[in-house]
Formats: sequence, C-alpha cells, structure tokens
Amino acid sequence: MASQSDINPRRLVGVHAERVTNVSSTDYPGHYPDEDHSWNLATFQKNLKVKVERLSQRSIEFDLVGVDASIANAFRRILIAEVPTVCIEHVYVWDNTSVIVDEVLAHRIGLVPLNIDPALVMMKESVDEQATDRNTIVFGINIRCERNPNAPKGSTDPAELYINHELLSSHIEWKPAGEQEDVFGATPPRPTNLNIVLAKLRPGQAVEMELHAVKGVGKDHAKFTPVATASYRLLPHIKIKKPIPPHLAEKFQKCFAPGVIRVDPHTKEVTVDPYKVRMDTVTREVLRHPEFSDSVELSRVRDHFLFSIESEGPYNPERLLPEAIKVMREKIATLRAAAEALQNGEGDRDIQMADA
Amino acid sequence: MNQQQGGTGSNTGGQSGGGNYMMAPRQEMEYICADCGAKNEIKSREPIRCRECGHRIMYKKRTKRMVQFEAR
Amino acid sequence: MAESIPKIKIMKGAEPDLSAATYQIHDESHTIGNALRWMLMKNPKVEFCGYSAPHPSENIIQVRIQMYDGLSSLTALITALSDLDNLCETVEGSYQKSLREDSYERWDEKY
Repeated sequence: MASQSDINPRRLVGVHAERVTNVSSTDYPGHYPDEDHSWNLATFQKNLKVKVERLSQRSIEFDLVGVDASIANAFRRILIAEVPTVCIEHVYVWDNTSVIVDEVLAHRIGLVPLNIDPALVMMKESVDEQATDRNTIVFGINIRCERNPNAPKGSTDPAELYINHELLSSHIEWKPAGEQEDVFGATPPRPTNLNIVLAKLRPGQAVEMELHAVKGVGKDHAKFTPVATASYRLLPHIKIKKPIPPHLAEKFQKCFAPGVIRVDPHTKEVTVDPYKVRMDTVTREVLRHPEFSDSVELSRVRDHFLFSIESEGPYNPERLLPEAIKVMREKIATLRAAAEALQNGEGDRDIQMADA
Repeated sequence: MNQQQGGTGSNTGGQSGGGNYMMAPRQEMEYICADCGAKNEIKSREPIRCRECGHRIMYKKRTKRMVQFEAR
Repeated sequence: MAESIPKIKIMKGAEPDLSAATYQIHDESHTIGNALRWMLMKNPKVEFCGYSAPHPSENIIQVRIQMYDGLSSLTALITALSDLDNLCETVEGSYQKSLREDSYERWDEKY
C-alpha cells in the first residue's frame, strides 16, 4: 500500500467516470520553471527499472518503468513489424488435386511459422536477386492420399479409412542445399508446429510442390511477424481516499478484478494489494456507485509499462526484446551516419535540398 | 500472380517433367468422368458421354506443367 | 527506381545556418519519428520539434527542428540520435540483468 500511495502525482494519468486527465507527459525542459528535465543518461539509468515477471517457453511478461511512451511504443512496433523471420515466399506447384485451389494453398503454406534462426539467413536485397543457399531455404511437399487396405470394417473415420487423409505442416520437408547441411545441421529447418492442417485429402488426390523460404519483415507481410502479440498497458493505480464502511467492504471489493482489493477478515478494513493492482482492468465500475465515487481515485502510471509478448516462430520469448533493440540501434546508426555525412558537407547541400 | 512454366500456346512441344514425348501431331486429351471417375476421350461430333456410366459431365485433367505462386 | 535515395534530406526553406530546418527521412515511420522527437524535445536548446508522416503511401517522415541561439539543428539531431542509442543500450542492459538475476515466475505453456 505504501509504495502505491507515495507515487509522484505527476506520473499519474487520471481515469474518471467519463474522462481521462493528465494524459501527456510533461517531463520536458521549460515545462516547469526552475526544473531541469533535459536528457541525462545518469538520471535515466537511475530511474529505469526493467523487471521480468513471467516467462514460459512461448511468452514473456515484463515491466518497463521510467521510459516515455514513444520509446515503449518504438519497441512494440519494431517487435511486430521489423524483427525479421524466415517464411515460405515462393511456391512451385507440380501437382495439386486437393479441393483447396493452388493460390489459397500457397497462401496457407506461407503463413506456417518455421523454426529457422533468421541470423543464419541473409535477406534478399531485391526480388530479382538470385536465390542461393545463403538466402533461400528449400522445402518440398510430396503426398498422395490412398485407401487403407487394412481399414476396419464399417469404420467411418477418415483417419482409419485412408492413408494421408490430411496435408499437415509436418509434411513440409527440408531439402538442404549447398552449405546448409552444416549450417542448420543441429536444428533442421521445420515448422514450429507440426499439426497444422493445410488441406484435407481423399483417395486419388495428391499434392507435389517445391517451397522456397526467404527472410523478411512484418511490415512487408504479416507472415514474417515473429510475435503473435506484442502489447503493453499502463500499470493501474488505485488510491482509497476515505475509509470504506465495513458493511460495504465486500461490495467495494467486487467493483475490482479478483484479488485487487483485500478485505481484512476481522476489521473489514479495505486495502489495495500492491502487487495485484496490475490485474485490475480499470473498468470504473466503482465510480458508478454514489457511495464510493468520492472515496476512491483511479489512475494509471504514465511511465510504467506492462509488456506482454507472445513468441510465434523461431525466437525464444526472452530473445525478442533484445532483437527489437538491436533493430532499433541499427536504425539509429544508419540515421547517424547519414546525418554526419550531411554535416561534413558530403554532396552539396543545395543539391541535397528536397522540393517541398 | 501465378506463372505457368513455358510459353503460351500448344502443348505439343516444350513440356517439362516427362521430356520423353514424341512430337506427336496431336496428343489425345483425357477427361475424367465427374460421376464414376473413368478416363474418357472427347471426339468432335460425338456426344459428350462417359463410356462407363453415361454421365454427361467431364473434368479436364490438371496441367502437368509447373505453376508458380507467391505465398501471400 | 533511382539509385541510392539519400536517407536524410534537408527540405527547402531551411535557415542557412540550420538553426531551423525540416529533415526528410526516407524509409522510416512513427517508430523512429516519435522517439526521435521526444529525445530532441529533451534538449533545452531546442525551441520546437515536431514530426509527421505526411502520407501513408509514402515511406517518409519529416522532422522539424528549431533551435534557440542560432545553434545548428543538425548537431542537435546527431546528439539526439546518440542519446537514443545510449538509452537503448541501457534498457537492454537492464533487461538482461533482470533476466539473469531476478526471480520470476516460470510456467509451462502448452500448445
């Protein structure tokens, strides 16, 4: 409770019944007289807090505290649109007699996430660039559905009646080329999920294809996005201004997400759980009740981001943020080189000037 | 968005895959009966009818050429 | 397409001493635009900074910088970029430290 109430009110975005207040950050030089808000790395390092909260083999949740929304948003946008992955891009169909037409099947195959580490593959500079073992991974599909001669009598289950009654992502088979056997030998390229149904088949139907996977980014096509979701929300903050009458304690508790409000079993004293506040959805339900509306203040902490990232594809969830930061720093380095070139007068500035 | 292998035009020459075709003046086209799946030939001035079951709907066989797509 | 489009262009109408200028940045979006604008505004010598992505079909942003005391906006831009890089490095270091040293919930997520 203590850490919840002594928070600097400047960091709070007010959440009222029908409006939000103090939305914009004010930590700029010149905003408050006689206060220095200029950029200072030491101060930033002191105030920054990054804390991993939960980690599984597919997702990560962490707190990022002490940065501006523009920075948190840059990381989120890069995670979705600019961290590269490898996906199937070209499909060469020799045979497809399934009920799924070629272009739809090709599209479905393109969306299958692969386990290929993008660091081991080079990005094609242009669409016309020659495919080599450095920039293209080749897969094949060759599957034919047949009747199962040993099917039990009277069975109606396609899995028993037929062999290969489904084209699954596990039928996508890697065909190593050039040095790839050595480079990828330890973890042979394959879909991360082997149970995706791509097409259903019946006896006599067959699919034969060659698939070329290339490296790309999410802003080009959503299939290249390395995350299922990458999102953040602001930490909720609840301030109880007046004591809640004991007979209303349970009603008050029910206005919030489970666990957020603690009620003492004996004294019926109401407190906010300092860790579980993050579970609150800030529904403003409490403000609908006249008996509570002036005893509580709802807000969110402007610079406390609760990130949640779900990995889908080759990256382990804990590796995603460092990859995003890497992309960000590469962008900054490119820009800086360009700006320095401009300052050193490389190329006449008058010619460099663009028309409005 | 898709591209077929080889140029447009006749299916006599330039077929990939097999390659052991003679330059036959006209390859007989096989059709599949929509009802029983039997192979049929369609000749000019003859009714389109399956010789096995008499069904009147035929499917053309899929091309043996490779077709290229973008997985998008 | 023209060969090697310059990454940054100074747009027409800039002050000759670059104390006020609009920079057109090719192939960038709100990702860099907003972060860069924030870092420039943290500079007390910057009088004004704003950015826009003029049209969704043009992969371009424009950053306007105006300086106090006739200082160079280009120098401020370069400073902001290196500060932004330091920020990224700090966040990454802090994240890796938390991942290494903090205790956090590890759970098993099924497909």
